[in-house]
Amino acid sequence: MQRRQTSAAWLFLAPFLITVAVFFFYAFARAAYYSVTDFNLFNTPKVIGVKPYADVLGDPSFRRALGNSLVFAVLTTALQTVGALLMAVALNRRLRGLTFFRAAWYMPSITSSVVITLIFLWLFQRRGVANYVITQAQAYAPLTLTFLLFLIGVQVTQVLLERRRALPAGWFDPALGVTSALLATAVTAALAWIGVISAREVPPFDYQYFADKWITLGGVRILSIPLLVVVIQNTFTTIPTLMLFFLAGLQNIPRALYEAAEIDGATPWQQLTRVTVPMLRPVTFYVVTVGLIGTMQMFDQVAVIGSAAPGDTLITLAYYVYANTFKAGAAPVNLASAAAILLAALILAMVAAQRRFFPSEAS
Amino acid sequence: MKKCLLLSFALLASAHAQTTVKINGYGGTDPAVVGDLINRFVKPALAKDKITVVYEPLQGDYNKSLTTLLAAGTAGDVFYLPAETLDGFVATGKVLPLNGLVNTSPFIKSLNTAFTRNGRLYGVAKDFNTLTLVYNKDLFDEAGVKYPDSTDTWATLQTKLTTLKQKLGPDYAGICLQPNWDRFGAFAFATGWTQFDSKGKTNLADPRFADSFNFYTGLARGKVGIQPSEVSEGWTGGCLKTGKVAVGIEGNWVVNFLRDNAPNLKFGTALMPKSTKTGKRGNFLYTVGWAINSGTKNRAAALKVLNILTSPQVQQYVLEQGLAIPSRTALTSNAYFKKTDPGAVNSRLVFDGADDGNVRAFTFGPQGTDWSKPINEALAAVLSGQKSAADALKKAQADMNAFQSR
Repeated sequence: MQRRQTSAAWLFLAPFLITVAVFFFYAFARAAYYSVTDFNLFNTPKVIGVKPYADVLGDPSFRRALGNSLVFAVLTTALQTVGALLMAVALNRRLRGLTFFRAAWYMPSITSSVVITLIFLWLFQRRGVANYVITQAQAYAPLTLTFLLFLIGVQVTQVLLERRRALPAGWFDPALGVTSALLATAVTAALAWIGVISAREVPPFDYQYFADKWITLGGVRILSIPLLVVVIQNTFTTIPTLMLFFLAGLQNIPRALYEAAEIDGATPWQQLTRVTVPMLRPVTFYVVTVGLIGTMQMFDQVAVIGSAAPGDTLITLAYYVYANTFKAGAAPVNLASAAAILLAALILAMVAAQRRFFPSEAS
Repeated sequence: MKKCLLLSFALLASAHAQTTVKINGYGGTDPAVVGDLINRFVKPALAKDKITVVYEPLQGDYNKSLTTLLAAGTAGDVFYLPAETLDGFVATGKVLPLNGLVNTSPFIKSLNTAFTRNGRLYGVAKDFNTLTLVYNKDLFDEAGVKYPDSTDTWATLQTKLTTLKQKLGPDYAGICLQPNWDRFGAFAFATGWTQFDSKGKTNLADPRFADSFNFYTGLARGKVGIQPSEVSEGWTGGCLKTGKVAVGIEGNWVVNFLRDNAPNLKFGTALMPKSTKTGKRGNFLYTVGWAINSGTKNRAAALKVLNILTSPQVQQYVLEQGLAIPSRTALTSNAYFKKTDPGAVNSRLVFDGADDGNVRAFTFGPQGTDWSKPINEALAAVLSGQKSAADALKKAQADMNAFQSR
């Protein structure tokens, strides 16, 4: 009986185990082997020791790829984790049309990343939507500033009036906010109609995003502008997936904790930082781990943008591996393998460090 | 009985055996062009030999696709072999040396050299291109400056461009400078500099290299020369299309581009300027050849196909259709070259460029395209004003040394 059960288990596990054995363990072993040989895709590999590793570490492109990957991973993981958490908290309330919002927010994650990358390329062209929006914002700045000024003024006056009547009113009271917004709109429209304020003539905002431009820190190139665009894009597409994890985690936090906090007079911000965040720690650990691994392996966006961005502005470790394997004819596959092994080691080290210093258990 | 039946089947099959020769080449317009050549010339000639020919275009990055097909052993019997990536493909051992199999004497000598490594010929040039100065006649007329011509040296060209820029003002530029080896290299060759020394190393500290580097990047001073990105374009053709840039360094491919994208632009062509010091021009030979897969089972048939595709009839047809510039010396006197329309003039100068001054194949050496990276980075850094020429060259040499010691 026992034997039969065991063999049945093996049988069910077999498809998965075989796939892992062939496409992971075998492939990994081969890459490790190639990384110490002179393999070029066509020759019979001959072991030459650690020279490929030395060559890879001495390659400026590899160092740039390493820098790009690390900056990208840290920045994107941080942004998407915080963004996903906030969005999950927002969508965890009982709102009208909640299902619609949950579905709508999830759209970027289920759209192909190649398609999204093409859309982003188009958005951030020199005559693209991003530059157009900035131009329009500059042109209509007098109107928007007037609106904002009146909005704040009216809101402050209203809240102060309410408080004088000893009514509890917060600075962001939505009901008062709507009145203030309507009033401010009316005033702005009136001023524009009389001709006191109007849109300005501004030259089109002309910024080239996919160019060899860098954000530097003390003369060291930290982040290229093209990579920043990819950071924004990746954050945009990944937040919804991670949000789902947080939403699931939020369901497991007992209501009683929030009630107790409210009785103790905790503000919504305190409830978020003192109850929600600590209770979500296991989910956060998972989200950060998945985020780090995913971002360290980022490849598709870079491949799609390809030569639209110059030189090494976008190169990542995964792309470096690809670019060194598929060239014209014989290729330095040993360098690519060495880089792949280094990438794997780096991800492993990052996750290990994260496990060591950021406990995954809820405190 | 059964055996007998099998045997007769086998005999029947071999009697009707058709040899199929598969050709791999570019996508785009090539399937139509090569398909036309196959139908017009190859099929009639090979019908009696029972050889059928199919063209399988590789869409996207041709070099990468061909690499995977060769590695997997499924590449065509005959394929396009770009001279610029020749070394990488030769290193695979999958390209058949053609010495003694093909008569190369009717082809332009420098083209044969472009496909030769260690005395072995790996391809027969299908067609070729070189660089020329393509200029916007209207801008020169408006500025009252003489057109560039074939007597220009670097110095006289620079004077013409600087004057033009001064006359036309900030909205216009004299020349479009791509920050990469594929254009700049021609100037380096004009000085007599060579890509690799006898040990296969590249010397960027050579004064001749520095001389050409300083000239090329010096054109950017005062915005006389600009990079394509400064006018929101990706290459020189795009620069010319805007009508704001007077000169571009391009090959014959720019003619069709301008015809389609800037039909009203009046352009002329001149040979590349001569180095002021050596008095010689430098130029690149861009060429794609026909090569044969060393693993082919139909070697004889593949050779027949290759010979037809490089025959005088085919090349004449291709030239007269305005598709490409032929690789046979005998076609120099073709009537097409005597026409005076801008496209034909450009074709003639491109043809002449192959045999004037220091002409070298456009190639990156055995380590592939990454060879040009240090040079491209140096050009970009100086052209955009981020570095001085001396600093950029020093860094480029250090990067080149690291690259070549791999």
